[in-house]
Amino acid sequence: MTAALPETAENRYDLGFARWVRDNVEGGDKLSLCMQCGACSGSCPIGTQMDHGPRKIIAMIRAGMKDEVLSSNTLWNCTSCYRCTVRCPRGIPVTSIIQDLAAKAVEFGYADKKENALFAKSFWWSTSAFGRTDERLVTARYYFSLGFLEGIRRGLANLKIALGMVRTGRMHLGMPHKIKDIKGLTAILARAAEIEAEEANDEL
Amino acid sequence: MSSKMKFSYYPGCSSQGSAKHLDESLRAIAPKIGIELEELDDWNCCGASVGHIGGGSLPNTALTGRNLAKAQQQGKQDVVTGCAACYLNTHAGNEKIKSDVKLRRQVNDALSAADLSYDDDLQVRHMCEVIVNDVGMDKIREQVTNPLTGLKVAGYVGCQTVRPFSSTDGGGNYDTYEDPDFLNDFTEACGAEAVDFNLKTSCCGGSVAVMSPDRTLHLIRDILQAAEDAEADVITTPCPLCQTNVEMYQDAINKKFGTKFNIPVIFYSQLMAVAFGMDPDKDAALKRNTIRARKLEKLAKK
Repeated sequence: MTAALPETAENRYDLGFARWVRDNVEGGDKLSLCMQCGACSGSCPIGTQMDHGPRKIIAMIRAGMKDEVLSSNTLWNCTSCYRCTVRCPRGIPVTSIIQDLAAKAVEFGYADKKENALFAKSFWWSTSAFGRTDERLVTARYYFSLGFLEGIRRGLANLKIALGMVRTGRMHLGMPHKIKDIKGLTAILARAAEIEAEEANDEL
Repeated sequence: MSSKMKFSYYPGCSSQGSAKHLDESLRAIAPKIGIELEELDDWNCCGASVGHIGGGSLPNTALTGRNLAKAQQQGKQDVVTGCAACYLNTHAGNEKIKSDVKLRRQVNDALSAADLSYDDDLQVRHMCEVIVNDVGMDKIREQVTNPLTGLKVAGYVGCQTVRPFSSTDGGGNYDTYEDPDFLNDFTEACGAEAVDFNLKTSCCGGSVAVMSPDRTLHLIRDILQAAEDAEADVITTPCPLCQTNVEMYQDAINKKFGTKFNIPVIFYSQLMAVAFGMDPDKDAALKRNTIRARKLEKLAKK
């Protein structure tokens, strides 16, 4: 958990949100280095499908536009290709900032129903239950988290792919692979979540 | 390099599913190139691209912490993985845990819940970087008994194998971010022809392509088109997700864009296994490709 978000500013140029990002988002402390050159947006493979490219998102953070930033689809179109990160002339870890903002958007209820948040939840379910990603179960759980009919629709649309994976032995059949010490992993993850929660309380 | 280099091998979750052929071919070629892969005991998922969203930042880093703690128990040898996402997460997590005192304390606090700890200075490396820096192309060429003469190969590197670490000290400074040569070097060491392929480091859509293919099919189409324009017989890649995405969506792309792609996508380690004269099924795992690489199969030693 993270320190509480600041109130939405009445004056759009309130720096409250920018400060919060600086202190709570991975790489946020580098935001002030941005000179708005746009190398990040120009490098982004699907920037054209984003509500706002990475350059603009950084400008919006600095302008205090909390709700617009956290509800923008920019956070969910990032493919983690790291092109923006390696090209930024000021060394800003743009990918890390966007990716961590996505996590914050889920934490603060801006994105619970977004496809990618549902995918992330299905993914984490497998990781925490088995210690491993079961690609088959993560995909099925994700499809059906979009609704029963959508689950059926997506399942059918990808049936041929699934059959190809089964035919070549690349879709695991049977019980999920599970690590031996799942008990230990569960304890580690629970303790890590506890530490993160304590941290947030410290900062409130 | 005379004796075998030993590594703690982290295969990653895809090695038990969609990228079995990467794992199988890597394990097959490793002894040939002087590498001993000792599987990391009871390894867990790295968290991939979305673990921090589903589970939170510290629990996600604790996944890496647990793998590193297990590696530490296994010895001082470097950790190596063939998976781009496993490499990105584990390498990045390791560097952060080593340099950030507060994070190291928190991760160890979490690990203590299972009587584990990580306070070592291990290195987490990508298999391609190890092949470039420790094995070298001479050693690859030495092993080639079945040169892949006449096979045209488009070397598709993708993203996370090189970005953001290939030009860093920790990442072994093994190639550039934008125009890496290593994959073409592998191809040519195997006796095949590396075609000029200008989208070698373009993104396939990664996990976004898995969850919402409609948003990213055009990216894969462009990659396939560039490979076709370069008259490649096969595309080769080091990345499990690139391999699966670029292979499995060809039907959907043909339907959406009216194209007729049917291009095999194989791992560099499959190429090497064939060029080393190894078994096409057991070692090169060519039967695992949903689009069979017929031309490569014909070149394989029966």
